[in-house]
Amino acid sequence: MEDYRGRQLKIFRGVNPLFMWGVFLALLLLPLVIRSEYTLSVLIICLIYGTHAASRNLMVGYAGILSFGHQAFYGLGAYFSAIITMKFQLSPWIGIPLGGFFAALLSLAIGFPCLRLRIAPYIAIATLAFSEILLVICKNWVSLTRGEMGLSGIPPLQDFSLFGLAIFTFSTGGKIPYYYTMIGIFILTMLFINFQAGSKVGLAFRAMRDEQDAAASLGVNLTRYKLTAFLTGSFFAGITGGFYAHYISILAPDAVFGIGEMVEIVAVTLMGGIGTFFGPVLGAFVLVIGLEVLRGLSDYRLMIYGAVLVILIIMMPHGLLAGLTQLLNKVKTRTAGQLRKAGS
Amino acid sequence: MTNFPVIFEQIVNGLVLGSMYALVASGLTLIWGTMKMLNFAHGELYMLGGFGLYFAVSLLHLPPWTSVPLVLAAVFILAVLLEKGLISPLLGRPDWDVSAVVATLGIGIFIQNFAFKFWGGDFQEVPYMIPGTVTSLGVTLAWHRLYILGLALAVLIAFWQGMKKTRFGLALRATAQESEAATLMGIPYRKIYTLTFSISASLAALAGTALAPIFSVNPWMGSGPLIKAFIVVILGGLGSFVGAILGGFIIGISESLSVLFLGSGWKDLICFLLLILVLVFKPAGLLGGKEW
Amino acid sequence: MLRIDNLQVYYGDAHALWDISLHVSQSEICTLVGANGGGKTTLLKAICGLLAVREGSIFFDGVDLLAVKAEERVDLGLSMCPEGRKIFPGMTVEENLAVGAYNKRVWKKKGGLLEKNYELFPKLRERRNQVSGTLSGGERQMLAIARALMSEPKLLILDEPSLGLAPKTVENVMETIKTINKTGVTILLVEQNVNISLQISQRGYVIESGRIVMHESSDVLLSSPHVKQAYLGL
Repeated sequence: MEDYRGRQLKIFRGVNPLFMWGVFLALLLLPLVIRSEYTLSVLIICLIYGTHAASRNLMVGYAGILSFGHQAFYGLGAYFSAIITMKFQLSPWIGIPLGGFFAALLSLAIGFPCLRLRIAPYIAIATLAFSEILLVICKNWVSLTRGEMGLSGIPPLQDFSLFGLAIFTFSTGGKIPYYYTMIGIFILTMLFINFQAGSKVGLAFRAMRDEQDAAASLGVNLTRYKLTAFLTGSFFAGITGGFYAHYISILAPDAVFGIGEMVEIVAVTLMGGIGTFFGPVLGAFVLVIGLEVLRGLSDYRLMIYGAVLVILIIMMPHGLLAGLTQLLNKVKTRTAGQLRKAGS
Repeated sequence: MTNFPVIFEQIVNGLVLGSMYALVASGLTLIWGTMKMLNFAHGELYMLGGFGLYFAVSLLHLPPWTSVPLVLAAVFILAVLLEKGLISPLLGRPDWDVSAVVATLGIGIFIQNFAFKFWGGDFQEVPYMIPGTVTSLGVTLAWHRLYILGLALAVLIAFWQGMKKTRFGLALRATAQESEAATLMGIPYRKIYTLTFSISASLAALAGTALAPIFSVNPWMGSGPLIKAFIVVILGGLGSFVGAILGGFIIGISESLSVLFLGSGWKDLICFLLLILVLVFKPAGLLGGKEW
Repeated sequence: MLRIDNLQVYYGDAHALWDISLHVSQSEICTLVGANGGGKTTLLKAICGLLAVREGSIFFDGVDLLAVKAEERVDLGLSMCPEGRKIFPGMTVEENLAVGAYNKRVWKKKGGLLEKNYELFPKLRERRNQVSGTLSGGERQMLAIARALMSEPKLLILDEPSLGLAPKTVENVMETIKTINKTGVTILLVEQNVNISLQISQRGYVIESGRIVMHESSDVLLSSPHVKQAYLGL
């Protein structure tokens, strides 16, 4: 079914649970087959991008808020967790969720001004400006953030044992505990998105996305739902950022608040298909792994991202999967037509 | 430190700074008014103007006054190709406003990193259009900055009047308001879009050539001015040339004065705060809601 | 003057117009009537080049229109006053009219043409500097017609000029159309208001569901039982 904008809309009653849990299970079992620390680290990066993009997709794809500043929440979570764990000797297990809440709190600072905005480009600029403000603050508030020198020595996640299984031993420096932690964050995020999308909130989101004025006239409280989108989208970006900080142990303003990060996440979301469920994750895997494989081209990294954006938006605006399916269909109908002509 | 002559000097500096922002914003205003599109590659077209001037002067050893028209022509041609190839296909689509933003973002990032990869990240120097300074009323200004001020006012007033009085201006406005009826009157709307985009690109490049001597040429020189230009345009009212001048001056003066009180690291915050204020209280901008 | 033969028009993959054959002779007022959705506007869009034609031909004064781009058809002397008027709301009355004279053939004569049209539509002269978005329905219709006349057309096509207007205003509009015709402009009038359009025209076509179902002189049509029943509520 297509909406008035010609987009393929699935009536979202929650994604097929079998499929969803199947994906989760597959990801959980991966380390049993993959032993290489290097591959695991790539997968962790994929998951970070994927979750970050999924949280953005919540705002852009589900609620229709074209945000170009989502990375701000990622950065806020990262820096907040890093700073409070370093200054107050708190455990990162506390820091990360707090980082998420902090990001959510600050999301209101940009959420409120965006309430009256209807034109997509305006929201794009406003959210971008928000991220740029934070970049400036981060670079200049040297006493807090060490500015462009960045933070280093961010404490890694702390060991704990789950059900007596000592898999969460981060101190050994292995990737597996980090992988499982990130899977946990990923699963948490996706479960929430699924739950929200299938709920009354999700319905309101879709109404807002497709026809704001009609939704408002039907009594949808735009304010409440726009702010909900900001709060929830930013929270999950924040905890992902927090994880990132404690995983990589170093932070620099441009790495999290910069345009580079922004473009990468926009590309990932677009590639996977805006408004789809696993789309952002798929996009993350494709782009991250793709660029890893083409490591020789790392100089051209952002050029590639730019070109990807343009190619995608012109030829596959609904994402890679949808675009390839369409292409396949066109080939099918064309060959069928040629066969018919040849036959007659 | 805050006695009148100092403040006066900062206000004058602010006007000059503001005119820079207005000049950069002029192209955006033009495109928004006609095509209802925000060109995220605007900063990179500005950067190409700067690099173009650098290449013309350093490699081809041309004088600045000859270089500038050549650079404008080159960017114009590039813009025609970009528009026809990458933006035109998106024109008919229902989600045009979103696709155009993403496409131009991709183009901008591509150009920026292309420049970094192939022309290097070094900051290049470019000569002033007019060397030397002038002193009056206790304020000393470089001639070049007055050139920029004059250029900005000339461009914006020319477009403001041109939109009203020329055949082309009428065609642009008609296309923007009712493209189907415009076609019925014989206005080739696709050609108009291509022309508008390319003129806007040339305006960006013009701003680049004008500001390059002050801020030096480098691949990232466009990002800052782009955001400021967006803010100027929103503050002044999207689509209004007069608004762009006003918006530019307001931001320029605010920034200049804030340097006195806050120091230069934080001055960038001012325009963002102004933006948030506008969005909260009057999203249409100062002169917004009107046509041009 | 205008000759359409066996036109097939599609909206994407949907076949919208079947086997349309129609002609308009010089100096006459010819009308095309039908109910909503019957295909009237679709046909006009095809004539003006806003919609692609898959089969068939359109000849205007001997020129194959399908070989001419939409924006170039004005040059040949073809002008349309579109459905819903589509005036330029942000521009003044005079600016709207000026756009009507955009075509190079007439741009230089703009001043004279403005005068001519102000003679025909004195109300517009009164409001020449008013922003057209603030005009009333009837005034907008006058503006749209005047704008279409600014290109000195040989054939003026009017798409549902009576739409949304009070009966007295409709009468005025129709009177004006007759006057324009008397100055030598051929008129193709497309209307939902079957009664009044048949009254001022010499010949008429009836279009239903994308096909021409009747083609007679207007008097014959007015007294035809089918037309009476389907369109005149008699």
